[in-house]
Amino acid sequence: MPGRPAAESPAGAGPGGAAAAGPAPWFQHSVFYEVLVRGFYDANDDGTGDLKGLTSKLDYLSWLGVDCLWLLPFYQSPLRDGGYDISDFFTILPEYGDLADAVELVEQAHRRGIRVIADLVMNHTSDQHPWFQESRQDRTNPKADWYVWSDDDQRWPEARIIFVDTEKSNWTFDQTRQQYYWHRFFSHQPDLNFDHPAVADAMIDVVKFWLDVGLDGFRLDAVPYLFERDGSNGENLLESHNYLKRLRAEVDASHPNKVLLAEANQWPADVVDYFGDGDECHMCFHFPLMPRMFMAVRREQRYPITEILAQTPDIPQGCQWGIFLRNHDELTLEMVTDEERDYMYAEYAKDPRMRRNIGIGRRLAPLVENDRRVAELLHAMLFSLPGSPILYYGDELLMGDNIYLGDRDGVRTPMQWSPDRNAGFSRADFAQLYLPPLMDPVYGFSGVNVEAQMRNPSSFLQWMRRMLDVRRQHPVFGTGAFEVLPAENPSVLAYVRSHEDEAGHQNVVLCVNNLSRFAQPCELALGRWEGRTPVELLGRVPFPRVGALPYFVTLAPYAFYWFDLIEVQEETL
Amino acid sequence: MKAEDLLSGITPLLEPYIARQRWAAADPGGKVSVEKAELLDGFEPPTLWLLVRRHGDLYQLLIGLRPEDEPLDLGERDVLGVFASGGKAWFAYDGLADADIVKHLAATMDVTGVEDAIVRPVGAEQSNSSVVLGQKVILKLFRRLQLGPNPDVEVSTGLDQVGFNHLASPLGVWSRDDYDLAVAQEFLAGGSEGWALALTSLRDLYASEEEDPAVAGGDFASEARRIGEMTARMHIALGKAFGVHPPSLSEWADALVQQVDRLRLGADVRLRAEALARRVVVLKEVPSVRVHGDLHLGQVMRADAGWFVLDFEGEPARPVAERRLPWPAAKDVAGMVRSFAYAAAAALHERESSEREALEGRAQAWEQRNRQAFLEGYASVEGLEDVLPAEGPDSDAHRDLLAFFEFDKALYEVAYERAHRPDWEDIPLAAIERLGKG
Repeated sequence: MPGRPAAESPAGAGPGGAAAAGPAPWFQHSVFYEVLVRGFYDANDDGTGDLKGLTSKLDYLSWLGVDCLWLLPFYQSPLRDGGYDISDFFTILPEYGDLADAVELVEQAHRRGIRVIADLVMNHTSDQHPWFQESRQDRTNPKADWYVWSDDDQRWPEARIIFVDTEKSNWTFDQTRQQYYWHRFFSHQPDLNFDHPAVADAMIDVVKFWLDVGLDGFRLDAVPYLFERDGSNGENLLESHNYLKRLRAEVDASHPNKVLLAEANQWPADVVDYFGDGDECHMCFHFPLMPRMFMAVRREQRYPITEILAQTPDIPQGCQWGIFLRNHDELTLEMVTDEERDYMYAEYAKDPRMRRNIGIGRRLAPLVENDRRVAELLHAMLFSLPGSPILYYGDELLMGDNIYLGDRDGVRTPMQWSPDRNAGFSRADFAQLYLPPLMDPVYGFSGVNVEAQMRNPSSFLQWMRRMLDVRRQHPVFGTGAFEVLPAENPSVLAYVRSHEDEAGHQNVVLCVNNLSRFAQPCELALGRWEGRTPVELLGRVPFPRVGALPYFVTLAPYAFYWFDLIEVQEETL
Repeated sequence: MKAEDLLSGITPLLEPYIARQRWAAADPGGKVSVEKAELLDGFEPPTLWLLVRRHGDLYQLLIGLRPEDEPLDLGERDVLGVFASGGKAWFAYDGLADADIVKHLAATMDVTGVEDAIVRPVGAEQSNSSVVLGQKVILKLFRRLQLGPNPDVEVSTGLDQVGFNHLASPLGVWSRDDYDLAVAQEFLAGGSEGWALALTSLRDLYASEEEDPAVAGGDFASEARRIGEMTARMHIALGKAFGVHPPSLSEWADALVQQVDRLRLGADVRLRAEALARRVVVLKEVPSVRVHGDLHLGQVMRADAGWFVLDFEGEPARPVAERRLPWPAAKDVAGMVRSFAYAAAAALHERESSEREALEGRAQAWEQRNRQAFLEGYASVEGLEDVLPAEGPDSDAHRDLLAFFEFDKALYEVAYERAHRPDWEDIPLAAIERLGKG
C-alpha cells in the first residue's frame, strides 16, 4: 500500500523488548529524584540548603525508595541562572559546602545504595568564568578562541532565540574586545567554542574530575547547541553528536557503569539520535510525553499520549528514556503544536503570571487542582510507561508553588519537613531564608510536610513509597517491551509491559488507566494470555481468569490497575 | 453430501434465523426462497453458502454444519438449529461465529499470516458483520447483497490506489458471479470511533463547571478540525480515483421535496425545502465526485496515526446504483456537520429529562464550535478547487449546497429513526425546524 501518515509505528517505545544480554544497566531500573541542594535541607543554619544538609536526609530518600539523585548545578556561580551559569567547574558553590562535603555525600549515598548524578552545563559558561574574562581581553590571548566571537551580529540567522522573553539576539556586543559573542541562552552565558580542541579537551577533564570524586554520571544540559555551522539552525549538528560520542568513549574507558543523561528538548525522532548506536548518551529525556499526559487527563482521552508514543522510535539496547511529570523548568511546550500550546495555556495558566518564556512554572499539585486521584493516576502512568521515572523534590508530598516569586523560583521553595519553624528546613531566621516556605492554607508547611505524611498511612507520601516498592519488585517496568492494547473506549489507556526472565518465563504486566473523571467500562482483547490470571499488584487480589472473550474491566474515576498476568493452578487461588 | 440435499431440512430454519438479525429488514416475517445453494469447496467443517431472497431483498447466508452431538457453544442469535438430512442430524449455525470457517474464508481471499490468529467478532452493522483475525486483519461479510460491485470495496480500493492512506487498506475480496460477498481489510487496531470521542467530550462539558466548550477540559475542536482536513483530502482523492463529473441538480431538488411529502412534515417544512432546492437548482458549474455517502462521526476512527475513514458503503437504505452516483462533495460535509448536532443531542438524551433544558445552550455551543472547526479544517486543505464550486469552500454556492444537503440528511435521519428508534426522532426534527429559515 502507499505511504502512511507519519505516526504509524506500533513498535512502541520499549527499550529493546526481549531480555538483554547480561544484566540490565542500573539506570534502566532506577527511580531518579531531582533535588535542589539549595532547597532541601540547611545544615549550617544560614538559610540556604547545602550538601551536608542533603547528606543528613539520605535516610529519608532511602526510605522513600529513590535509586538515584540528580543534583541541580552545585558549582561556583554568580547565580544569575540558578547555577546554570558556571564560573568555576572545579569548585563547589561556597553556600553549598566544599569538595569534602561532595565526597561525603556521594559516599554516604552509595552506602545506602543510592547513586548521585549532577547537572553539567557544557554548552556555555558564566561571563564571570576566568576563561571568558581572559578571552574577552583581546583577539590574541591564549583563550581568544575559546568562545565564539564575530565582528557583526548577522551570522547564523537561522538559529532561533530560546529565551524570547529576555533576549533579542543570540549575539551580544562586548565593549572590551569590541566584538560580538555568541550565546544560545542568556547574554551572560557565552557559548564555548567546541571547535577549539583545547575547549573540547577541557570539558572532558571536567567530566573526569567529577567522576573521580565519585559521581555516577551527569545530566548534560543543552546538548543540541554545542556547535555552530553556516546555513543551519545550530541544533543537533553531526559535530555535536560526534563530540558526545567521544565523551562517552572516554567515560566508558576510564569510569565504566556511569550514565550520561542528555537534555535535548526536541521531537523524539530527533532525540533518539543522542543515543547514537548505543554509543552516545545512555539516557535522554522524553520531553513531549509530559505535557501530553496532562492533556490526556484534561481531554479524558488517551490519544495525546498514544500518538506521541507511536511517534517515538525504538532506542538502542542498553539505553533508556527519562520521563517525568514536573521538573525545575517549565512545563515544556516548545514541542507541542501551536494549537495545543494555546490549549495548555488556557487550561493551566489562566493567570498570566504563570506564563514563563514558552512554558509554565507550576508544580504538579496545583496543575491538577490538588486532586489526589489525578496525581495518583499520573504517577501510576509515570511509573509504568517506558522509561525511568524522574521525580521532582516535594512532589511526593504534593507540595504547592508560589507564583508570586519571580522567574522559576515559584517551584523552588524549601522542602517541607515538618510543621516547625521554616518548615523544618532551616533554623536560620525566617528573613535569612533563600526563599520563604509555602504558608498558604492549602499547600503550606503546617499541613503538607514529611513528618505528618510519614505518620499518616493514607498520605500521598506513603502511597508513593508503596508504588515505588511495587515497581522495584517488577523489573519489567524498567526494561520490558511496551505495547498499547486496543480499547474502543477512548478514555481508557491500556498497555502491557512484558519480558522474559532468566528462567525463560514470560512476565506480563497489564496496566489499565482511566483518564476520565467518570467511571468507565473497557473491553480488552487479552486472548494471547488466555488462561492467565490477572493479579492486582498492590493488593495481590486475583481477578477472574482471562478467557477467549474480551476481558471486561470497570474503572472508577481516574482509577488505574496494575495486573500481573500469571499462570496459576486454579486450586492455589 | 450435496447442497441440494440439505435444502429441505434447513429451509424451515431460515426465516426465524434471519428475522433475529440486525442486518435483516425489519418487515414482519415472510417467505424465504433459496436462489442458490453450494457447499464451499475445501471448507472444514462443511459450510453451506446460500443466496436467499426475502421481501425482494437478497441475502447471503454462510452456514456452518457440525454433527448434532458436536455443537459449538454459541449465542442464540447465531444458531439456526438442528435438522436431519441423509439420516444424519446437523447443528446449523452462523459460519462467521466459527474461527475455522473464518480462516478458510480468509484463505479464499488470499489473506495470509492469520492461520494461528484469534478470531473475535467486532460488530454487526446494518448490512454486514465483521470479525477480527489477530490484530491485523478485519474480515467483513456482506449480509444483504446488491448486484454489482460493493461500494465499500470499490471505493476503498480506488482510494488506496491513488495514495489516500486514511483508510483501512483492502487486502482481499471474495466475489462470486456479480456479487461482492466479503472483503478483508487491514485492521486499525487501537482506534476509537469519532462518535465515542465526541460523547466523551460532551459528557465532560455537560458535567463541567464551564459553560463554554472552548474552556472545558474535554474540548473536541482540534479533533473536529483534523476530521475536516481528512475529509477534504478524501474528496480530492475521490476526484482523482473516480473522476470529476458534472451534476444533475434538478433531480435531487425534486427528491428533497418528495421526501418531505413522504414524511408528512407539513407545509412549512415543504416551503423551506422548496426554497433550499431553488437555491441549488440555479447553481452552475458544480462538480460532482464519488462521495463517502454516509459520513458521520461513527464512520471515522481516531487512531495513533490520526483520523481514518471507514465503511464506504454509503447509506444502506439507498439503492446501490444511487450510492455509486457522483455527488457534490458538500453531501459528505453536510453528513459530518449533522453528526455534530446529533452527538450533542444524543449526549443530551443521556441526561435526566429535568436537566436537559439547562444544558441546551451548551449542546448548541458545542455543536457550533465543532462544526466551525470541522469546516475550517476542511477549507484549509489545498487542492479542493478541483472538487468544489469555482470559488471554493467559502463560496455562496458551497454554502447553499451544504444547507441543502444538511436538510436532506436530516430528512434521511427522520426516516431512519422512525423505522428504528422512534424515541430519537426529535433530534433530526429539531434540526429541520432550524434549517432553511431566513
